[in-house]
Amino acid sequence: MVDNNTNPAEPEVSADQKGLSRRQFLIGFGGLGVGLALGGIFGGAFLLSDEVIAIQASGGWLLVDTKKCSGCTSCMMACSLAHHGETNMSLSRIQITQDPFGKFPDDISIAQCRQCPYPSCVEACPTGAMHVDKVTGVRTVDVAKCIGCERCVNACPFTPSRALWNFEEKHSQKCDLCKDSPFWDEDGGPDGKRACEEVCSMGAIKFTRELPVQSEDGYETDLRTGTAWDTLGFGGSPKSGGALG
Amino acid sequence: MQRKLLFDSFTWLVWLAPFAGILAAGLTKRRDPVIEGERVLRHDVATRIEHWTHGIGTLVLLVSGIALGVWFLPALVGSGESVWTMMNVHFGAVVVFLFGTFYYGANTLLEKKRFAEHLPTKNAIEYTKRHYGLLLGMKKFTMPPEKKYFESERMAYLLALASTSVIIVTGILKVAAHAMNVPAWLMAVMTPAHDIAAIAMLAFFLAHVFFAAVLPMSWPIFRSMFTGYVDLDYAKHEHAGWLDELGFKEPDAAHAAEAGETVAPQSSDNSERKS
Repeated sequence: MVDNNTNPAEPEVSADQKGLSRRQFLIGFGGLGVGLALGGIFGGAFLLSDEVIAIQASGGWLLVDTKKCSGCTSCMMACSLAHHGETNMSLSRIQITQDPFGKFPDDISIAQCRQCPYPSCVEACPTGAMHVDKVTGVRTVDVAKCIGCERCVNACPFTPSRALWNFEEKHSQKCDLCKDSPFWDEDGGPDGKRACEEVCSMGAIKFTRELPVQSEDGYETDLRTGTAWDTLGFGGSPKSGGALG
Repeated sequence: MQRKLLFDSFTWLVWLAPFAGILAAGLTKRRDPVIEGERVLRHDVATRIEHWTHGIGTLVLLVSGIALGVWFLPALVGSGESVWTMMNVHFGAVVVFLFGTFYYGANTLLEKKRFAEHLPTKNAIEYTKRHYGLLLGMKKFTMPPEKKYFESERMAYLLALASTSVIIVTGILKVAAHAMNVPAWLMAVMTPAHDIAAIAMLAFFLAHVFFAAVLPMSWPIFRSMFTGYVDLDYAKHEHAGWLDELGFKEPDAAHAAEAGETVAPQSSDNSERKS
């Protein structure tokens, strides 16, 4: 049985007796913590901001030529299959968009991750889940750290966003150049193969290690000139370069 | 400009709140319970601050946390915008909760009797059986001389203490992940532990609100969490053991004591007490 008479309030030991009473210690400890927390804010203003810290470049980039794309969506199914073991277009990290009212060459476009030099998705991530892989430089997601805030999805400057929401496993995901493709019996990543590139029957997707020149809308490349396209009779290959060719 | 979660832009508030609670406790002058005429001071100002900051913080944390998804249960909020809103609400509650909890913890360190009065005693099972048996209309039971807190409350306190401790430790690590690189394996342990502790806290919270605010018999105590005081008559009936500790004597007994006569010690059972 608890008896307050035998367990009185903790005596306020005077400074003379023990040097420091418990209350004095708590005041000092609390005050120090408050000081450190507040001091950290003002002190932090003098530190280098994240923006001036160099970000490692990606080990490679996917080039696409939407004028070669037939819209078969094989790349989407291959992406989903390699990463998730199922052909679900909603799980694909590369996206084909089609405009049923559009005419060539504006009827089909390929939305692939640009592996941006200054990735907004990485910067926006509050937990470090969206990060730059130290070995390959690929911008990718550590799903164990993802809290599902979808800031990366919103931060991507492109439409549709190249950071995608995995509605089944509730985390964000994006193209990792097949670095982590557990359902594919090939080595992926910049030094391996990319499933979308491998299956594209039109040769509309190609991997490069040279940083493509980006416009505000990204980059698109001519993968036609010097191929059979030259003989197809479109009045000459559409010019390459620029946002939409 | 990129909008930021409060967990990112004001992370420092999460570090500040516990220390602010400790500092405030160090600077607080407490009042012990005392009988003042026909009423008894039950909760001093510090107790009420502790209770409501911790309690309201817990309520908002539970609501926003459950909305964000608990353990294997699906999240109630789906889109990015509503997740952001709920995380910001969660952040505000974290700051209030941490201040209140650490304020309580530091106050308890200064006066350990305030911790002891919450812990169950050897009478826990017997008193709880009699108390609630009487409440359910079983005539054979009599009201036990409960102390300041019922024995049933003291047992529930252990659950609240354990769940609060786990929630704070795991929650601090989850916040730390916004500012530093916390290993993924650690996060993989902390996140489910946080959720399981939250479920335990929810169980305690619902029971606490029901027994301390919804049941009419608890309304005097509920009022005292605002005013600080309970009626003497109420305390005589519900907390006879507590009044004994405060040195309460019935007027005739007190008069007799003043006259130097011997007063028979009160029965430890106090089964004859009626309000």
